[in-house]
Amino acid sequence: MAMTRREALEKIAKGSLPVIAAGCVSTAMPAKAMAFEPEPGKFPEEAVGLLYDTTRCVGCKSCVAACSKANDLAPDTSRDGLHQAPGDLNWQTKNIIKLYKSADGKEYSYFKKQCMQCADPACVAACMFHGLTKNEKTGVVEWNGIKCVGCRYCEVSCPFGVPTFQWVGFNPKIVKCELCRHRTVKGQQPGCTSVCPNKAVIYGKRSDLLKEAKARIAAAPNKYFENKVYGETDAGGTQCLYLSHVDFQKLGLREYGEESIPDRLRYQKMLYKYLALPAALYIAMTAVISKNFKHVEHELKEEEKHSGLRPQL
Amino acid sequence: MRTTKWERAVPVYGVPVLTRAFYVLASIFGVALILTVWREYFGLANPVSGMTDGFAWGIWKTFNVMVLTGLGSGGFAVGIGAWIFNNHKLHTVMRTALLTSFMAYGTGLVMLGIDVGRPWNFYWVALPWAWNGHSPLLEVAVCVSLYTCVPLLLENVPPVLEYFIYKVPNYRPTVEKIEAVFTKVYPFIIALAYLLPMMHQSSLGALMLLAGPRLSGLWQSPFLPLLYVWAAAWLGYSCVVLALVLPALAWKRPLDLDVLGLLNKIAVNLVLAWTAFRFLVILVRGDIGLAFQFTSDAFLFWLETATILGAALVLRSESGKKVSKMFYAHCVLATGGMIYRFSPTTLAFHPRGGALYFPAAMELITCMGFISLGIMGYLFAVKKLAILPASIEDWKKMEAYEAKAPKDPFARYLSGKQYATAD
Repeated sequence: MAMTRREALEKIAKGSLPVIAAGCVSTAMPAKAMAFEPEPGKFPEEAVGLLYDTTRCVGCKSCVAACSKANDLAPDTSRDGLHQAPGDLNWQTKNIIKLYKSADGKEYSYFKKQCMQCADPACVAACMFHGLTKNEKTGVVEWNGIKCVGCRYCEVSCPFGVPTFQWVGFNPKIVKCELCRHRTVKGQQPGCTSVCPNKAVIYGKRSDLLKEAKARIAAAPNKYFENKVYGETDAGGTQCLYLSHVDFQKLGLREYGEESIPDRLRYQKMLYKYLALPAALYIAMTAVISKNFKHVEHELKEEEKHSGLRPQL
Repeated sequence: MRTTKWERAVPVYGVPVLTRAFYVLASIFGVALILTVWREYFGLANPVSGMTDGFAWGIWKTFNVMVLTGLGSGGFAVGIGAWIFNNHKLHTVMRTALLTSFMAYGTGLVMLGIDVGRPWNFYWVALPWAWNGHSPLLEVAVCVSLYTCVPLLLENVPPVLEYFIYKVPNYRPTVEKIEAVFTKVYPFIIALAYLLPMMHQSSLGALMLLAGPRLSGLWQSPFLPLLYVWAAAWLGYSCVVLALVLPALAWKRPLDLDVLGLLNKIAVNLVLAWTAFRFLVILVRGDIGLAFQFTSDAFLFWLETATILGAALVLRSESGKKVSKMFYAHCVLATGGMIYRFSPTTLAFHPRGGALYFPAAMELITCMGFISLGIMGYLFAVKKLAILPASIEDWKKMEAYEAKAPKDPFARYLSGKQYATAD
């Protein structure tokens, strides 16, 4: 096929344009192409989690001790120097049993607190350099010390107050439950579920756990608060699920609706899409400023004639 | 109070740099530096800071960065008035605005580096493929570092070049060549200097969108980013007025009531529209009921509204004729604006179970130390460089005064006292 040099060059230029454009976009917004994108209400097929049932928990706290042992964390005995009795999750405590008691003392419930492993985690959306990521297979939110700057935005953004920061020492870490990922790869159970004497907390695939929770509700329709599984859709859905005989709010599990926390950034995402709007704004501003700049330069020269002094920018 | 027409930036002359106040600021900064070393070794736990897992952000982020970069937005807000809306009167105060911005941003950036736990990992900021493009904090980190280190720094270069032209005659040809190149690219630099703050000042508000309902509805809304950048704009104007009037009181420099009146007018209009918009957002979202409950949030909301709106109304009726009244009104306005920028992260934020935060003594001293560094930089710059505006007559007086100066530059820098007294 006969082709002039000009045609050939045009063809090459046209063909490479999309490539160049794609290159520019991918350098501007690399997160899109590279990282696994969590979404509310969507879980990896192999998503794992916990199911905790307040009606079965006896408050023995063996899961707290087992968690410390499994994760090689020194027990936090700062309260009285004798007992492992931390007030809340902290850098030595990835899992805790709390007790809720009403003012009249008639209603009470234990409550296990650890990372919920959200479908669309706020901490992952907040993290600057993917120091926290959601595992594509298991859905577990994992911390990577090489990428973490220690800004603690994960702590500010987490709707459940889970990630904690090591406040002491020169090499601090972000500490949070990672569902004992070092144990589960070897086929072992997480620390907490391996010791629970009453099977109040169980480990498994999220889909199985959800079925189990629904079966428990179906078997005893008036036993559970609002016949609801907390985490099924709350805050975009979580992999750790809760059944409770008291109001979830009283246990510290807020009503977040089906919207995930990172959904709140949707307008921001639109504004920054492909950096198109900032780029357009920059071009427009440069045009206006260049025009005004000529006027000002002219004025400065006039002033120089008048005063005999060097013009100042 | 001497009034004139501001025509030209003139250095503050006849006053030594090393005054008693300067030594006090330097010693606070010295203590802060020692505490910083302590903090890097022992971590952020008590007694270094009052931060906990509930309030993971303390004043180093929420005051030194969130509040003070808002206050230091003059370079961007006044710049837009001068260069984009072509307000020629504002050009004379640009150098003052840019210097205050640079000091606020520079010290804020250093403070950010001290606050984070693993600063050695911050190099990822230079590697775009490592970024999480959706994180508001990433947007802040990238744009604040870029803004401070490139356009804002370059915008502050002309007074330095001018210094060399006047003080070091040997360099004059070279410096004039640099200046010529600089003037050519200047529009591109300042366009960037307005784009980046628009992005990161709004993203500072977007940070708290992820706090969700744990931030009171009187602040939380999808418009929080817009309100934040808008507040930064009028806070910037307010801070520039203070940075112009305070030196006039301290060193008996002339004031231009015309320009101050214009700055006032812009600030007041921005504040009134901002307040109206804020109320509109709260009303439309149906959160106004929160303002009439007996809570600290409601009190805080009315405190903000009263100071901001009250000061704006006083300024509106005054329109810059009485300098003392205007000065006090701007103090109140800036305080109100600072409270507004401080509330969402700290005062109106209710994280996990009843957590409270109060900064520790060491945290406060470090915070003040880096503010002192900014003030020291400002004081040094206005005395050595032509920053603050005055008249051409003042420039000529200054030149006559400088002619009497000793030629040895070391004698001029090292002597605590200046070579002669101002007449």
